[in-house]
Amino acid sequence: MKNTLEISPKDMINAFLLFFVITTCQTGVGIQGFQRLIYADAKHDAWISVILAGLSSHIIVFFMIKTLELYGSNDLYGIHQDLFGKHLGNLLNFIYILYCSVAFFLILENYIEVISTWVFPRLNPKFISISLLLLVIYTFLGGLRVIVGVSFFSFLLGLWLLPVLIFPLKFSNIEYLLPILDTDIISILKGAQSMTFTIIGFEIINIIYPFVKEKDKVKRHVHLGLLVTSFIYLTVMLITLTYFSGEQLAKTIWATLSLFSIIRLPFIERIEFITICFWLIIILPNLCFYLWAAYRGSIRLFNVSSKKFVWIFSTIIFIFSLFVQTRIQINTYTTYLSKVAFILVFIYPVVLYILALMKKKFSGKYGEKNE
Amino acid sequence: MFRKKHKKQTFVLNTLIEDNKEPKVTSGKIFSSSKSDFIEAIKHKTHSPSDLIVKTISPTITVVYVDNIVDNQSLNKLIIHSLNQINNESPEIIKDILSIAEVDITVDIDKSVLAMLNGNVLIHVEGYSRIVVAKISSYEARSLTTPENESQVIGSQVGFNEDISTSISLVRKYILNPDLCIEKFTLGAQTNTTLSLLYIKNIAAEEKVNTLRQRIESINIDALLDSAVLAELIDDNSLTIFPQMLLTERPDRFCDGLLNGKLGIIVNGSSMAILCPYAFVEFFQSREDQNLRWFLATFIRILRFSAVFLSVYLTPIYVASLTFHYEVIPQPLLVPLSESRALVPFPPILEALILEFFIELLREAGARLPTKVGQTIGIVGGIVIGTAAVQAGITSNILIIIIALSALASFTTPSYMMGNVIRVLRFPIIIIAGIWGYYGIMLAFCLILVHLLRQSSLGSPYSAPFYPPRMIDWRDSIARLPMPLISNRPKDTRTKNQDKFKTEPVKPEKLDKLKVNE
Repeated sequence: MKNTLEISPKDMINAFLLFFVITTCQTGVGIQGFQRLIYADAKHDAWISVILAGLSSHIIVFFMIKTLELYGSNDLYGIHQDLFGKHLGNLLNFIYILYCSVAFFLILENYIEVISTWVFPRLNPKFISISLLLLVIYTFLGGLRVIVGVSFFSFLLGLWLLPVLIFPLKFSNIEYLLPILDTDIISILKGAQSMTFTIIGFEIINIIYPFVKEKDKVKRHVHLGLLVTSFIYLTVMLITLTYFSGEQLAKTIWATLSLFSIIRLPFIERIEFITICFWLIIILPNLCFYLWAAYRGSIRLFNVSSKKFVWIFSTIIFIFSLFVQTRIQINTYTTYLSKVAFILVFIYPVVLYILALMKKKFSGKYGEKNE
Repeated sequence: MFRKKHKKQTFVLNTLIEDNKEPKVTSGKIFSSSKSDFIEAIKHKTHSPSDLIVKTISPTITVVYVDNIVDNQSLNKLIIHSLNQINNESPEIIKDILSIAEVDITVDIDKSVLAMLNGNVLIHVEGYSRIVVAKISSYEARSLTTPENESQVIGSQVGFNEDISTSISLVRKYILNPDLCIEKFTLGAQTNTTLSLLYIKNIAAEEKVNTLRQRIESINIDALLDSAVLAELIDDNSLTIFPQMLLTERPDRFCDGLLNGKLGIIVNGSSMAILCPYAFVEFFQSREDQNLRWFLATFIRILRFSAVFLSVYLTPIYVASLTFHYEVIPQPLLVPLSESRALVPFPPILEALILEFFIELLREAGARLPTKVGQTIGIVGGIVIGTAAVQAGITSNILIIIIALSALASFTTPSYMMGNVIRVLRFPIIIIAGIWGYYGIMLAFCLILVHLLRQSSLGSPYSAPFYPPRMIDWRDSIARLPMPLISNRPKDTRTKNQDKFKTEPVKPEKLDKLKVNE
């Protein structure tokens, strides 16, 4: 198909970096407290929901990459414009930009909420959001290479958090998991759906795809990344389920952080203070990639420079963050986003693939001629 | 462009004025064939300095030179002696007669005046407008000494000195190779400083050489007194705190860089040579790491990196923990901490800043004072002020330990420039840790990380080999693996010739077999 993005080799990234991009985009604020939501639906079979959610992410990514491969070197925004024409396509692009912006906003708010609950109860959240936004702006202006670099370091430097979670295993009770498949299948599926906010992030492949050097290796690295994240989620879920009893878990908002808080080392206590602050480097790639995705879409709608865009975007985000006051508000918005994301990330790509395939079939003659 | 044009115009004006004043003197840049006009022209150009010597050897031959910068012995033996024996020969013949390596014939006034100021003798023959320029310069130079700022236990003990020819000869001694390219440049409208660009053809990447050459040529500067100034003029981002080019006084480190595909610059009058492109990690590597066994070298490198981390973050962590997060400190440790802080009237951030300021003061005083006094200052500062401060209740014992440790750690960096940066970096982090605790430290950490990711050195990524990830180069970055495993040159210099050496291990049995066959 005709409209492809021309990207200079200087801006391109190696395919194996996608592994880091995918894993760091997926893990973020969600992992701090996803257990309670899933437990609410799937009870002690929540870990099956996690596996199901992981599996479905693999299937969806398969469709996403198939769609992108149809177009050679183009992103979701270009595909929209090609499939639905200029006006409808741009409307869909606008919805996607809005989705990215809201996701950015909620990641920021959720993190600020965690910081002010656990570490600095009296600190004004405005300061945290300003400092975070400035950091994100600085990273974003470095370009895609810098953003991918941050995600690379975020993965490597964040690895130490996993072995730390071995400590709670001392107090775990494997019997909490039994009997397996006690919950009915509908509830387990519902639990998998509740994973949405936690597991999303891999849709960045829709935007980053044209920037990858070796297109044939994309599949391998993306799926590997998904596998690793699913494995991380599964491990965390299993540790949580065996550590907390049912009633406890239903009342624990940030179960992962609570797991950290029981760890005691001879020279350090209350390790969650360190991990929560360390989480900054884990959410930084999240924020940058959603911002970048929104930027890639915006330049198709308006004629803006990256500098102008990022300042306007951050100002809007900051103004909106002034309206958010309570934990309940953030929770409600996150639930809404989760529902929208379920449609946008888990259902829409399949529809898009079918549409793109149909278009290719109908305009097959032209396509063959061009090739 | 504009500046250059402007300069040319003023030059034309100058010559016009000269013509008006003294119509006798040569027109434009060409010498007159008459002896008196020649002397007049030279005197006019140099404003007749007191050390300008004009010697008439025979009625037709005149020799002009600057005292103090020519070698008197060769002047007598090689020039005056041979010129005495001839009579009214053409400059071409004089050029052949003189047994001096660097002899040239020129008609250009400016060039010959510059050459004279550089230790050349000008020989003028009556009736010819061409003059002979013979180089017999002798500059006073410091003898070779051990590099004082970059000492090393195992390895060579010689350092560059301020004379460019000595420095280049040292490099030539290490790298005996026709592929070693040396390009000469002259910079500085006032100082006319010579500098040389060194690289090894087929190892250094061509495009890097072109970039660097272009950067040097585009400099329009008045005076160039040290290579550090040049390094700042040609780097990629002059706003960053981190040095992007290495300044070294060790010829072995310099040559090691050249052999790894880097480019070097030696500036006349400066004992520090420039190496670029240089990545962040490489500043913490010492040439000595190659001389030690790999296990030891790896251990020392890891020690050095943890020293950097300690040096930057130890004091901020102390400040943050005691200001906001004392829950993190276990009880057995909290008791002695609070006991030692019980008498201190200041908040931790102020306490830390005061002590850090003390240490920096001591360091700066130690660097400026004469060596004999320096030791005394160390004792006075370290012992007297330290103990007195604790006894007076200004600081706690534990903070003194922490500050001393981080000051010590910052000196393990093999590059003095980078060591300075590491020390200064601590101050903003202490302040932000005093305001936002661990969150502030993490924020600063992320900022530094992003900042490092954004930098480049001569177009190469500054954070290489970690990002962009070149796993092969990781073998010689934080760790130093055994020789057979690091047989490749680093990739980020984009060298054409990848192999440092063949990796086939030579076993003693094999050697024995070879001998039998012979």
